[in-house]
Amino acid sequence: MKNIFFGFVIGATTLAACNDSNNKVAENKNDNRDTAQVKAQAGSSTATTATVAEVKGTTSIKEIVTTYLQLKNAFTKDNSNDAASAGTSLQTAFKNFDKIALTAPQEKLFEEVADDASEHAEHIGKNGGNIVHQREHFIMLSKDMADLIKTLGNGGQTLYKDFCPMANDGKGAIWISETKDIKNPYLGKAMPTCGTLKEEIK
Amino acid sequence: MSNLRKVILVVGLLFIAIQFIQPAHNKNEQALPTDFAKIYQLPANVERILQNACYDCHSNNTSYPWYSNIQPMASMMARHIKNGKEKLNFSDFGSNSPRKQISKLKEIANQIKDDEMPISSYKAMHKKANLTKEEKMLIMDWMNKTADNLSAEN
Ligand code: HEC
Ligand SMILES: [Cu+2]
Repeated sequence: MKNIFFGFVIGATTLAACNDSNNKVAENKNDNRDTAQVKAQAGSSTATTATVAEVKGTTSIKEIVTTYLQLKNAFTKDNSNDAASAGTSLQTAFKNFDKIALTAPQEKLFEEVADDASEHAEHIGKNGGNIVHQREHFIMLSKDMADLIKTLGNGGQTLYKDFCPMANDGKGAIWISETKDIKNPYLGKAMPTCGTLKEEIK
Repeated sequence: MSNLRKVILVVGLLFIAIQFIQPAHNKNEQALPTDFAKIYQLPANVERILQNACYDCHSNNTSYPWYSNIQPMASMMARHIKNGKEKLNFSDFGSNSPRKQISKLKEIANQIKDDEMPISSYKAMHKKANLTKEEKMLIMDWMNKTADNLSAEN
């Protein structure tokens, strides 16, 4: 009985302590971000190379598409861990996207898509080992990608929009592919060829 | 004093000490114009289930039972609320773009279908959060239907 009580209290103390330090780390991160912003503002007249690079961004639609396709191909092979690392890369590609060449309506759509899509990419990244949950996010991510490509183009490679009626619990789902042959990312090896070509995106 | 007694004393004091760590309560009664219940025609039974099973971690209004003020439960609860609201906040749902609202509605249906939500440690303490099969179906159907309507409009 005493042992149980000890265990409880010690556990309690550690938990409280852990939680406290977590919060501190989070707060510190925020602090850093604030300082970075202040610095960026202060330095705007003497724009440093670092701030310029940040504004300009480093990735294009081509990188976003390529990373999405890596993610898709990991799902066709039922590989949850590869999907997770591609998901994290995709999140970064969205974050570092170079918006400078976009028209105002293009930028508006990009912002809206990126806000939604990066959260899906993040969750795919964080859920290595839970391919069911990863694929749930991939359904919504693929819809985002189709809309993005419609507005920003295919990044220089011919793409295909495919549809599988059996995915998404029979409600159906689309995905974007770089090959004309069907390779299903939702059902993977269980049913690799389920689906039809809906649209060629040149 | 025997060693054992010393240990009990120290541990007891520690237990008392951590009670002074009290995270701020998540309580803001004023409903925002972006509240879930204001932006959608929410049937009363759907709203009641969400309130019973989800709002403690996914809204600006947590109802705190007595034990949730005792550490370490208080910190655990505060952490769940912080992480939960980051992902989904019913009190401010309308501040999401329509695209994101559609995603969140589908995610809610998915989490209930996969039995991921509500979090199981919470279900152990809250009887009302253990949804029946019918309640789950009701929520999933409503969320999917609302997402589809929103997709058709946008
Ligand atoms: C005890 C607190 C708690 C309760 C109660 C709770 N949630 Fe959550 N919820 C969380 C936390 C914490 C997260 C973040 C988890 C993560 O990031 O892995 C979360 C995440 C989510 C997400 C995002 C999931 C994703 O990964 O795509 C959804 C949707 C959600 N909850 C829905 C619900 C619904 C619907 C209910 C009620 C039926 C509910 N939650 C009840 C704490 C809770
Ligand atoms: Cu998720």
